[in-house]
Amino acid sequence: MGADPVAAMSGDRPVGVAIVDDHPVVVEGVRAWLASEPRLTVLSTGDDPDEVLRAAPDADVVLLDLRLHGRMVLDKLAELSATGRRVVVYSEHTDPETMLAALDAGAVAFLAKHEGREHCVATVLAAASDRPYVPPALAGAMVGDHRPDRPMLSDKEREALLLWFQSMSKASVARRMQISEHTVKQYVDRARIKYTRAGRPAATKAALLARAIEDGLVRPEEIGIYRSQATHDRPTP
Amino acid sequence: MSADLGASTDRAAAPGAPARAVEPWSGRVGVPAPRGPAQAAALAAPAAVAHASDRGARIVSVAIALAWHVAIGLPAVLGARAEFTAPAVVLGGWLLVAGAGLVAGARLLHGAPLPPWPFAGLLLVVDAAVFAAVGEGHLFAAANWVWSTLGWFFVLAMWGRRVAGLVALLTAHALIALVAVLGHGHDAADLARYAMYVYGTFSLPVAVFVGGATIVGLARERAGAAAAVHAMAAERDAAEQGLRERRDRLALVGAAAGRVLGELAAGQADPDDPEVQRRCVLAAARLRRLIAESDDVPDPLLHELRAAADLAERNGLPIDLVTIGNPPPLPVEIRRRLADPLTGILADARGWARLTVVSGQDEVVISLVTPDREGPEATGPPPGEHDDGLVQHLYERDGDIRWAQTRWRR
Repeated sequence: MGADPVAAMSGDRPVGVAIVDDHPVVVEGVRAWLASEPRLTVLSTGDDPDEVLRAAPDADVVLLDLRLHGRMVLDKLAELSATGRRVVVYSEHTDPETMLAALDAGAVAFLAKHEGREHCVATVLAAASDRPYVPPALAGAMVGDHRPDRPMLSDKEREALLLWFQSMSKASVARRMQISEHTVKQYVDRARIKYTRAGRPAATKAALLARAIEDGLVRPEEIGIYRSQATHDRPTP
Repeated sequence: MSADLGASTDRAAAPGAPARAVEPWSGRVGVPAPRGPAQAAALAAPAAVAHASDRGARIVSVAIALAWHVAIGLPAVLGARAEFTAPAVVLGGWLLVAGAGLVAGARLLHGAPLPPWPFAGLLLVVDAAVFAAVGEGHLFAAANWVWSTLGWFFVLAMWGRRVAGLVALLTAHALIALVAVLGHGHDAADLARYAMYVYGTFSLPVAVFVGGATIVGLARERAGAAAAVHAMAAERDAAEQGLRERRDRLALVGAAAGRVLGELAAGQADPDDPEVQRRCVLAAARLRRLIAESDDVPDPLLHELRAAADLAERNGLPIDLVTIGNPPPLPVEIRRRLADPLTGILADARGWARLTVVSGQDEVVISLVTPDREGPEATGPPPGEHDDGLVQHLYERDGDIRWAQTRWRR
């Protein structure tokens, strides 16, 4: 991964995206969505992750359909994430277990296929800069997470996730919780960052966490076990 | 065109209609019993059967002990009281055991037995005292009441415990008797009589004790097996019905989606036509809902909400119904208060709707979001927040959306 996402975001060059999906019509649809955003450019598409990334080794973000040729590719997702590839999973399989398993495997974000252009573009842009983006379906999976080893969320974080999942409008959540939209986003993003602890460690998780600390979204001591790993990866300001 | 979606829905629903009888437990369109209560019943039934069996055996044991003590022991003691070495000890021992036996029996029948070992200790002390006090002439007579009745009180003391305790007590009793027999100067006939008495005191109490425990165990096992079979059958029926319903809905939505796709492919439908777009949106929303259904056995709450969503969709409203987690078994009243306000608002919704259910073991939150419309509330509760004691209600409109939420917490 030679690309510096911050440089990419500052306008030097657009964010390079690779799309992996085994349905050409979906690839074309997603390409059309992303084409409307000048900060994004699609570098390569195809139905085999390895081939797609050989064609575009510098892709900043990989949009990966979780089901390729009838098989769930969670193992491939974990492999890519472990090497630091920022993978945004998008799938029609939106059961909470699948979404949380994708996060555990190191996906930077999970996008339900029906969530539309706006969320797709926002997710890819956020992923390129190692920032979290939680579309409503993922918020639902996190708020409904009852696994014994789930991250501990604060009441506010949980409520923000729940209301965001219900309403799909941060403005409405802000009005309901009587806080600013910015604070709603912070609660939601902090909850997401806490999920960097779940599952096995991955370079993408460390990067998300490090950026969150850099941005002041979380303090290292709030994260516990990831502290040493994060500070090792990128120094806190 | 959405009318033909509605019409075919009615047709498809018709064959299933008889199965959807109103059931007493819900007062609603029936769905099979949810998994939770079925499992709870499967666990509770064997315990109840075992409890009933055990209670019967307890009553028998208490009755034998007290009846023997009074009907056989008392007349013999009274008849021979002048001939005992220490009549006060024999009579006092009888009274003490009668009193303690009454208390022990009553406590045992109420499920709170006396502490076993102190009670057993008392019995053994009385045992030794009476053997010492009856005198040689009455050692093997009915007046030496401890021979015949003490074993039954041992059974009461050791009820519900392992048989080894009872055997240990009976052995102690046999040793005390042996000491008495040897102490009083014995002959071969005494030893033979002793052996016979020991056999008699051992065999019946142990048989009743072991028999009672075995019957209780067997009853529990059989009831457990029967309940498990019953629960499995109920769950299978429910799953099959759920599958049938899902298949019906898939056929329906598949036909609707297939029709519009076919028309698009054949060029008969114009993708720019808002009506065609609307049919696509409706078919997609329904397909998505179908894909999202993950419960094998339909939950009554989700079933009600799905029925309401289907109805709204038949009226042409694109609706997303997203469920996270499985609701715990909830009483009808709570289910009604959770679902009714939202299904009411849903019936009045225009444009689109998003219905979400987030469930955990201790919390169920249902939310309905629809576009906010100009004008007064057509139906539904006024904006605000209140708690009706079982469920929290929240109704809100903020210009963009109308938001209704009901929440139950354990």
